Amino acid sequence: MGWTFNNPLFSLTTDDQNKEAKHTWEHESLGGIAENNNPLPRPVIGLLLLTFATAIAITFPLYGQRPTAAIYLDYVSLMNSTMVQEVMNDRTITHDAANQKAMALIEDSLAHFDSKYTFQRAQHPIDLDQLRVIGPAIIELQRAGVDLEEYSVIGPNVVKSNFFNIQPDGTVIAKQPWWDKGYQISFWYFIGFCLAVIITVKRLPHFSWRPDHTIAH
Amino acid sequence: MAFREYRIGCWMFGFALSLSMFVTIILPGLDISSMSSTKIALEKQLTYGWETGFNYYDPFLQGKDKPVKVVLTKDPMTGKAIDKTDAFVFPAGTHFPSGLTHDGILGDDVQKASEELGKIGQADEAQGGVFLVRSTADDVPYIEFATATKGWTADATLKAADEKLLAGSGKTMFVREGCWWCHTLLPEQTQDWQSFGRPPLVGDFNGESPTTFGSDRKAPDLLHVGSRNSSREWMVMHFFNPRLVQPHSIMPRYDYLWGDVDADGNAVDLPGWDEKYLAYARGESIYPPAVPMPAADSEARKLIDFVINLK
Amino acid sequence: MLKYLFSKEDDIPQGTAAIFFGISSIAWFVIGTGLGSFNAAKLAFPDLFHGLYSLQFGHMRQVHVHAVIFGWIAMAFAASMMYITPALGNTKLWSEKLGVWNCLLYNVGLCLALALLWSGVTSGREYSDHIWPIDLYIAFVMVVPWSLNVWMTIVNRRTQGIYTTNWFFAGCMFMTIIVFLIGNTPEWLHLTGLNEAYMTWWFAHNILGLLITPVAAAITYYIVPKITGNPLYSHRVGHLHFWSIVVFYSTPAAHHLMSSPLPEWLKSFASVEGVLILVPAVAYVCNILLTMQGRWALFVENIEIKFTITGVLLAIPLNMQGGFQQTRAINWYIHGTGWIVAHAHLALLGFSTFAEAASVYYGMQVLLRRKLWSASLANFHFWMLLIGFSLYWTSMTISGLIQGAAKIYEVPYVDVVIAEHPYMIVRWLGGTMVFFGNIIWLYNMIMTARAGDPVPVGRQPAEIAYTR
Repeated sequence: MGWTFNNPLFSLTTDDQNKEAKHTWEHESLGGIAENNNPLPRPVIGLLLLTFATAIAITFPLYGQRPTAAIYLDYVSLMNSTMVQEVMNDRTITHDAANQKAMALIEDSLAHFDSKYTFQRAQHPIDLDQLRVIGPAIIELQRAGVDLEEYSVIGPNVVKSNFFNIQPDGTVIAKQPWWDKGYQISFWYFIGFCLAVIITVKRLPHFSWRPDHTIAH
Repeated sequence: MAFREYRIGCWMFGFALSLSMFVTIILPGLDISSMSSTKIALEKQLTYGWETGFNYYDPFLQGKDKPVKVVLTKDPMTGKAIDKTDAFVFPAGTHFPSGLTHDGILGDDVQKASEELGKIGQADEAQGGVFLVRSTADDVPYIEFATATKGWTADATLKAADEKLLAGSGKTMFVREGCWWCHTLLPEQTQDWQSFGRPPLVGDFNGESPTTFGSDRKAPDLLHVGSRNSSREWMVMHFFNPRLVQPHSIMPRYDYLWGDVDADGNAVDLPGWDEKYLAYARGESIYPPAVPMPAADSEARKLIDFVINLK
Repeated sequence: MLKYLFSKEDDIPQGTAAIFFGISSIAWFVIGTGLGSFNAAKLAFPDLFHGLYSLQFGHMRQVHVHAVIFGWIAMAFAASMMYITPALGNTKLWSEKLGVWNCLLYNVGLCLALALLWSGVTSGREYSDHIWPIDLYIAFVMVVPWSLNVWMTIVNRRTQGIYTTNWFFAGCMFMTIIVFLIGNTPEWLHLTGLNEAYMTWWFAHNILGLLITPVAAAITYYIVPKITGNPLYSHRVGHLHFWSIVVFYSTPAAHHLMSSPLPEWLKSFASVEGVLILVPAVAYVCNILLTMQGRWALFVENIEIKFTITGVLLAIPLNMQGGFQQTRAINWYIHGTGWIVAHAHLALLGFSTFAEAASVYYGMQVLLRRKLWSASLANFHFWMLLIGFSLYWTSMTISGLIQGAAKIYEVPYVDVVIAEHPYMIVRWLGGTMVFFGNIIWLYNMIMTARAGDPVPVGRQPAEIAYTR
């Protein structure tokens, strides 16, 4: 392959090859059909780049999935603290008012700490009544020493998540993945494809050349 | 490749297709094959036998060559009371599921336990035998060949059974009648846990063929239907004419699976039944005609056993 | 037909195989859509045909699917390949005799395969339902001779070049054979468990992605430049389309099993690749629509272009749906619902069928050297197909959305059945319209063969469509 290194993208072929290609191109009629040599329109190239960006963005595994138990652990520990319990058990106000006040306290305390779950908490807000229901299960799991990220909150239940990241040694991690082997393969696969197609297409005569279809017919 | 360079094009084509198949077949195949069987997978294999779709031993999908699942409350040989146990009886000549005949299906731990504790190495298709599903102290499930470990023979076990489930043959009916075109066997991971129960885990299918997940759900998922509804009477009515128990159902009637005679030996008269049913539908009688109970060897009974066994 | 089976190769007129394949494909289209309409009726009114035990839904559903895929679509492909491939190479078909035998054995095999499915003898795997002896027959008696004819015609061409359409024909036939042999490993090798489930869908995805979609596209690559007289817009965009089909369309099989416990990395990979199917789609649609520059009047005037361009335009929503519905973000909502059924019909009845119908219309006129018997009936056929399909697609999409909503709100399933009832009726109506349209088409084609005006030598049927 003749590759003009100082002008790599415009010609990956020698002049001879281009001349030969142009001759073949113009001198044959394929069953009465001819082909032009137009480039992809610019907007379409934009569309294709957008497609790849979208593909990577929309297939993030975190979309459309259940909250993990881990994001509520701090809520539950705070709920069980004396300060919040006092508010919750305050008989002078209604149940709803007590709930709201207690939740405000919890959220206020949480706001003081950096947490890697901030985004997911905003995605999956919870109220105090639901917290009461799932609380004991989360505490129990925490005592058992398991990784809470491997558990999902499904309605009133805390259950082992249904994710199977099979590790090289055969063990399975039930965490929600956000970047895995599949993404890496896709990435390199796409890049390999682009390089191959660019090399293929750039070895054709430059797109400013318009074949003369009157010759073959 | 430039204009009209087909030799290079063919090589690139071959390379691209091979790479694609390497990533989509070899890599996942290695991962999937490395997963150990769960207890559910062992039970399913022993319930459904070797192959449920078309095969040499049952070319017309009549439910042949299938094991029988039995429920025991007494030891078949000594007659002593035991805890309620599910046993899987393979009459002589019934083909074993892949897990018993190939080393790579069960997973290393399960295979080791099944051979050392379960003595599955002594099982022989020509002789048949009885299998149980057990767990080791470390919670590794394994298959026990009860004919070797306890001396239970197939005939004695069938005789001592409290209940016989022809679920293996029933799965053949499920495949042949195309139930899986509308009823999936795959509660989804992200949504329908509440309605249809626990989605299957990765090792739950080892040795099962076909898996008949279904793709186009026009009816409820059935993977755990036996836990939601285990009433045999309801199933009988529902299979005979779904509109008897669910007026809005669009399920076809499976009354033709009753065969010629019912459980009491009376002839099954489908047109006669339809006539009475139409009279009921027109309001001319108060009760719909009684649904005949399927005979013990009818296809309807097998299918109902399969569905009730889906716990 | 029978007299050509034992004739000498030289005595068989050129195009015979294509004509037989073309007529067979239309007949199978009538049968397949008739079965579809019949099945749809039972979904709306389950007791409508009560008593016809031999035509139970669970037995007939797969017969409909395989009658349209292997009968209509694949045979229309065969018909197209048998006249387009030689035309593009300025040569004859490699062997008309092989083509005629191929057509006969194809029809015989298909009847046998469908009869077995009908009686319930099945492997129990969606899209690879056929039992393995039939799979062997399909691969080596139906597909290999067909491929051989296509490949050898291309090898024996009299041009230096191979036009884009023929890249696709040759490549897709090769990939189809590979997919058939490897995709049926669950049967050849008795694979079990998730491997079996995954390979089943690997087959299903790739037989659609590497046979039906690209060959339909390749046909339009021929029909549009040929009838409009414009050169194909771009050879280089053709490259992008072809290579991205091979690279991206062959990989996302796992996206059919997003809710199963397959390895998560595989699902991630499949869903990225699934969106990248938009790359060939964009390249293809852009190439075809830009080829139409200056000749858009033909979209109204010419029946083949009307069919083709409608198909190409339907490819846009098809690929938009296909690209995005399989991602985790959307799939959990619509998985296993009527939405998918609508999508499958958009691919096969929308995009692909319209492209093939054009090619069969065109091919029959060219090969028989006769003008269409009735342009009005052809237009009528077009509108029956388009309206019938639109009704079908809309009703199934809506019913799929209902089902999806019911799934997340945990509505008892029978309420879903009740809510879907009106849409099932519309689906039946739509399917029946398509069925009737096809009967008209079959009639029109038979009349064309018998009583159509001869096309003078050197003229195109499209040029004289409106002359009396």
